[in-house]
Amino acid sequence: MASTDGAPWACHNRAVTRALIQRANLARLAAGPVGVALGLGALAVAQGPGRFTTYAGRSGLTATLTVAAGLALVAAGLVTAFSRPARRIGDLAVLAGLVWFAPVWVGWDKGPPLIRSLAMLAAGFTFPLLVYLVVAYPSGRLQGAAARTLVAAAYLEATVVALGRALFRDPFFDPGCWANCTDNRFLLRSLPGLARAIEVADRWFTAAAAAALVALCVWRLLRDSGPARRVLLPVALPAILLAATVVAHVVALQRRPLEDPSDSAFRTIFVIGCVAVILLAAGLVWATIRSRFQRRAVARIATSLGQAPPPGSVQAALAQAIGDPELQIAYWLPDARRHVDASGRPVAEPVAGPGRAVTALVRDGHPVAVVSHTAALPDLEPELGAAVRLALENERLQAEALAQLDQLRASRVRIVETGDSERRRLERDLHDGAQQRLLALSYDLRLARAQAQADGDPQTGSLLTEATDQAQATLEELRELAHGICPAILAEAGLAAALATLADAAPLPVQIQDEAAGRHPAVVETVAYLLVAEALDDAAGRDASHATVSVVQDGGRLVVTVQDDGTDRTSSMVQLTDRVGALEGRLAVEPTRLRAELPCG
Amino acid sequence: MRVVVADDVLLTREGIVRLLRDANIEVVAEAEDAQGLLHHVRLARPDVALVDIRMPPTHTDEGLVAAQTIRAEHPQVGVLVLSQYVEPSYALRLIQEHPERVGYLLKERVFDIATVVDALRRIMDGETVIDPTIVSRLVGRRRRQDPLAVLTERERQVLGLIAEGMSNRAIAARLYVTERTVEAHVTQIFQKLHLPESPDQHRRVLAVLAFLRA
Repeated sequence: MASTDGAPWACHNRAVTRALIQRANLARLAAGPVGVALGLGALAVAQGPGRFTTYAGRSGLTATLTVAAGLALVAAGLVTAFSRPARRIGDLAVLAGLVWFAPVWVGWDKGPPLIRSLAMLAAGFTFPLLVYLVVAYPSGRLQGAAARTLVAAAYLEATVVALGRALFRDPFFDPGCWANCTDNRFLLRSLPGLARAIEVADRWFTAAAAAALVALCVWRLLRDSGPARRVLLPVALPAILLAATVVAHVVALQRRPLEDPSDSAFRTIFVIGCVAVILLAAGLVWATIRSRFQRRAVARIATSLGQAPPPGSVQAALAQAIGDPELQIAYWLPDARRHVDASGRPVAEPVAGPGRAVTALVRDGHPVAVVSHTAALPDLEPELGAAVRLALENERLQAEALAQLDQLRASRVRIVETGDSERRRLERDLHDGAQQRLLALSYDLRLARAQAQADGDPQTGSLLTEATDQAQATLEELRELAHGICPAILAEAGLAAALATLADAAPLPVQIQDEAAGRHPAVVETVAYLLVAEALDDAAGRDASHATVSVVQDGGRLVVTVQDDGTDRTSSMVQLTDRVGALEGRLAVEPTRLRAELPCG
Repeated sequence: MRVVVADDVLLTREGIVRLLRDANIEVVAEAEDAQGLLHHVRLARPDVALVDIRMPPTHTDEGLVAAQTIRAEHPQVGVLVLSQYVEPSYALRLIQEHPERVGYLLKERVFDIATVVDALRRIMDGETVIDPTIVSRLVGRRRRQDPLAVLTERERQVLGLIAEGMSNRAIAARLYVTERTVEAHVTQIFQKLHLPESPDQHRRVLAVLAFLRA
């Protein structure tokens, strides 16, 4: 993860990384001229001594295609290696391009035996290199057991076959020989039977590997969607075509064991193979250029964000820039120790999955955000310029503030809910505790009074009568008090019944229009009830002669309105405003009208 | 008279039972929750069940629900609900389905044993009993255009007694007038308030309460 602008964004072992990259870049730069030399040399061989022993020597078309395919791979590899983080893809393409010319050098009739022998060893590696490239594309990493197994098997097989050919294949005794029937510098022991078996086994393995490559490409195309598939297509389709020619070649060899470049079937297969390789190289270049444009767009998005972008703008701009509508940014809140989206809502930490990659953004060694994006762009981090990072940092701060606001809201609701449940508990305690004791007391008082009367003690009797009346009055007061705290009927029968009782006992005529049938959440019913109760008290205090209460269900909201005809109110009803606000509702306080909108759904 | 008493507070229950026994009313069973109450009603078949509205487990309206169950399952067993709440809604709910042989009294009346015994007798006779506090709250309710303004003072008095569940005979006795006079008042009241004349004494309680609530 190389940082270029010197910002305090994380970069470990920068010097070491840079030195390694520089050495590798020198090798890559050298690969260009080497490729051109090999290509031109191959062309010379094909036009001259290799005319009868190579496909390239058979016609101008095959010569041009051979050279073009190899150079296209080298060129595409260089372009890719120098412009995308997944340099391995580019390196593989360069290597495959260089090895691609090997068959021509094998067919260099009367050429130096060592070169022909070496070319024979190298030729078998073109296919494994291309398989690796296609399977690792676009990230450069082998993902999944199938991919790793296929590539490992292809390399292992190519190595074993190359060793077998080098040590045991005597060209003189090879009945299937056509390009090189004379030279093998590494021959240890001539074992024509074994050499033949190796050839046959190699053919079938190659056919099977090609089929597996097709299956893997098709599976990935079906699995991925959107941007990931768009990136995959230009490489996967030529790869499928190439694999098809490999299989066709094996089938043709099965029918005509002696390979013959002058045979039209073999030549057609060869031509299509070359075209497939050229298309693959072109696809690599196209994808590289496209991704480069996207990266530029990413770097530019800061300018598209206005002065005060609304939450989620950075995510939207990034998603648009890289053409990935599923892109997601999760900001890290160190205090809350969790990830949130731009609005401050908690989200799960994004993880890499099929077709999805994640880029973790770090500042001063502290995580800032995790971006989940298409695996088509393996690492976004180097592309995010200072301005985008600033926008990201801003949005993280904003998300943090919003998350805190959410917590505040939740705590406000909790406070109101706690208060309400305390009210209900108090009401219950009054009924079950004080009221029961008072009942028992008045019972005892009555007993005592009866006793006093029986004993002929009128003075005590009248005192006890007075005490009984006091107890009775206290009971009534207690009952009204409990009802005022939180009427039991509200919890049990709902808002409509509680409001009806409120109207029964109100100090002024109250007309109730309840059009919201059914029950609502307890906290909403309590707030609505207390609102109406306080509004009616307030109206009575302002000499209103009557009041109208309306309760209407409007979508997900309960709208409670209390209208009276009293003098203008002076109170701002701040407690009611708080209560309604805690539910994220709204309270409009007008001189003779209160209107509350309570979310309830 | 045979009575079952249900109240979850032992102290209150014992007080009630003692008062009833002193008034020569036979308490055949005591229950501390709705389940026990229903069990005893099934077994003992009392004339009236005296039920506290608040009983376990939620202490809200278990007594009311039990009362409705008794009325539905044992039509010959009357129910007197004792309540802490001056809630016309509860009283209306109680008499809605089976307006006869039910009563709703405030709990503190229990120690005015004459009132309780009277209520129990009326319920046994098939009448309805509504606590005067609830009726007076409904009659005294502030109204913008008071529909009761068309009634004379005497008629209002009679309306209140009708709402308490009293029969014409009982009203006559209370007001020291003849039953025929009460009948005339009732006819006048129903005409003035545009209430359908109800031949059924229980239904007329419901009609008057609903009118007062509207």
